[in-house]
Amino acid sequence: MSANAEPPPVSRRSQRALDVALVLWPAFLAACVATLLFFAAVDPALLRDAGPRWFDGLDREAGYALGFLFFWAVGAVASTLSVYLVRTAQHRSRCAAPRSGPP
Amino acid sequence: MSAAGVTSLSPPTPPSDFYAAAEKIYPRETRGRFARLRQAAVVVLLGLFYGVAWLQWNDHQALLFDLPARKFHVFGLTLWPQDFLYLALLLIIAALSLFFVTALAGRLWCGYACPQTVWTELFIWIEQWTEGPRARRMKLDRGPWTAAKIVRKGGKQLLWVALAAWTGFTFVGYFIPIRALGAQIGSLSVAPWATFWMFLYSLATYGNAGFLREQVCKYMCPYARFQSAMFDKDTLIISYDEQRGEPRGARRRGTAARPQGLGDCIACTLCVQVCPTGIDIRQGLQYECIACGACIDACDDVMDKMGSPRGLIRYTTDNALHGRAAHVVRPRMLVYGVLLSAGVGVLLFSLFTRTPLILDVIRDRNALYREVPGERIENAYTLKVINLDDRPHSYRLAVSGMSRLELVAPLAPIGAAPGTVSTISARLQAPAAIAGGVHRITLSLTAVDAPRIAVHEKARFIGPES
Repeated sequence: MSANAEPPPVSRRSQRALDVALVLWPAFLAACVATLLFFAAVDPALLRDAGPRWFDGLDREAGYALGFLFFWAVGAVASTLSVYLVRTAQHRSRCAAPRSGPP
Repeated sequence: MSAAGVTSLSPPTPPSDFYAAAEKIYPRETRGRFARLRQAAVVVLLGLFYGVAWLQWNDHQALLFDLPARKFHVFGLTLWPQDFLYLALLLIIAALSLFFVTALAGRLWCGYACPQTVWTELFIWIEQWTEGPRARRMKLDRGPWTAAKIVRKGGKQLLWVALAAWTGFTFVGYFIPIRALGAQIGSLSVAPWATFWMFLYSLATYGNAGFLREQVCKYMCPYARFQSAMFDKDTLIISYDEQRGEPRGARRRGTAARPQGLGDCIACTLCVQVCPTGIDIRQGLQYECIACGACIDACDDVMDKMGSPRGLIRYTTDNALHGRAAHVVRPRMLVYGVLLSAGVGVLLFSLFTRTPLILDVIRDRNALYREVPGERIENAYTLKVINLDDRPHSYRLAVSGMSRLELVAPLAPIGAAPGTVSTISARLQAPAAIAGGVHRITLSLTAVDAPRIAVHEKARFIGPES
């Protein structure tokens, strides 16, 4: 194996762990900011009254927590797409030339 | 891309062949000026965090971001969602302070004030107390699982978990009244979401301060990556004086270095051993350096023992290190300073002149005006009265700006509970003879029991075109 690999390759498992961290961590930070800004302006109690039936039993604390989890999930979807696009682009450029020999 | 490069990458890499797990860092304990400074910071900051939650102010918790009730108690001040401006200003000021301090003195925040540093320090104290100093900890980790090891490791984990749990409890105690929360825990009747947040924050504390430690700074912290944008050649950094230290090498205590062809550095590697992020400061400024000063303390100690002057590793600036003049006042500092002072000024001014009352005047949308018996013209308005004080008030409405304009309703004072919005219909009348056209008027609302709580809102009174 030649030493011109840049950056140094890492194992699949640690690559996967890194991807998960790259998705969840920025999404978490963004969710904190989004929750702060959103609920500063919007009272979760108003959302409950305006929202669908299954919102009915929820109190404000539940509203904040669900809002936070929602923002986190949305952020994670965005991060996932970013990571996916970056990873697949690298994959394609690396595999552009025909491979010789068994994988 | 060359074919050689492609083929070298395409076979699946054997697992763990290239993967170097983050090596565990055993920071060596330090004594000295900067260690004392950081210990003081830990005591003060964590003392505030754990203590302030229990302070009472009048009949409520002194600092309480009461999310269930959507109001913030900041000592004597009660803030409502309408006061969001203050929160935004506070965040801007915090960011500008960080820029200002970073440009002036480098990563002071990282070394002394960041929660990551502060809690890690506390967790390391527990680790040192249960497992002993650095060498003993390394030996303990290498050794077999003896009873003594189980007791030491178990004791550490127990203390860590207890501290993390208390931290989570205190954190949530800033959002839900902490005394009530404590009572709920005592009777095992905590609301599920409060439990969730306590668990999450405890877990974050335990994970970040117990295990991740320097990896948070190295891999997770955005500030660590962009702080260099605030740096210039006059920023205070921790630096190894290469000219003085090199060539490094061992020498006998009390002997001069230069005659032996050596620099002052004796290559004892203590500066590396004490580093909480595991770097070698002698290789120059690195983004992993959190500027905690542990290496300065360690090196000063060694220099004292060697009989050499202190400061082989020291707080300095790039300019000072290279014998150039240092500048404290420079354009960057002036810009950050002016912006910061402006932010603080606006915040203080608006806080001190804050009137805990908001009046919104909305004109009746259905009719511009109405003719009423007695040759009079009437305009109708909807008033939104928001009481931002922490106690109920009655307010009296008055009008001005147009002669013979008369308030018809409401004549009785308007009552409003704290933090509520009252919607009131108001009617104004003026004689038809003078009411033609558009008149600029002012509606004033004054608290009956506290005349200093008053707001004036501009509005229009409209009559038929004459």
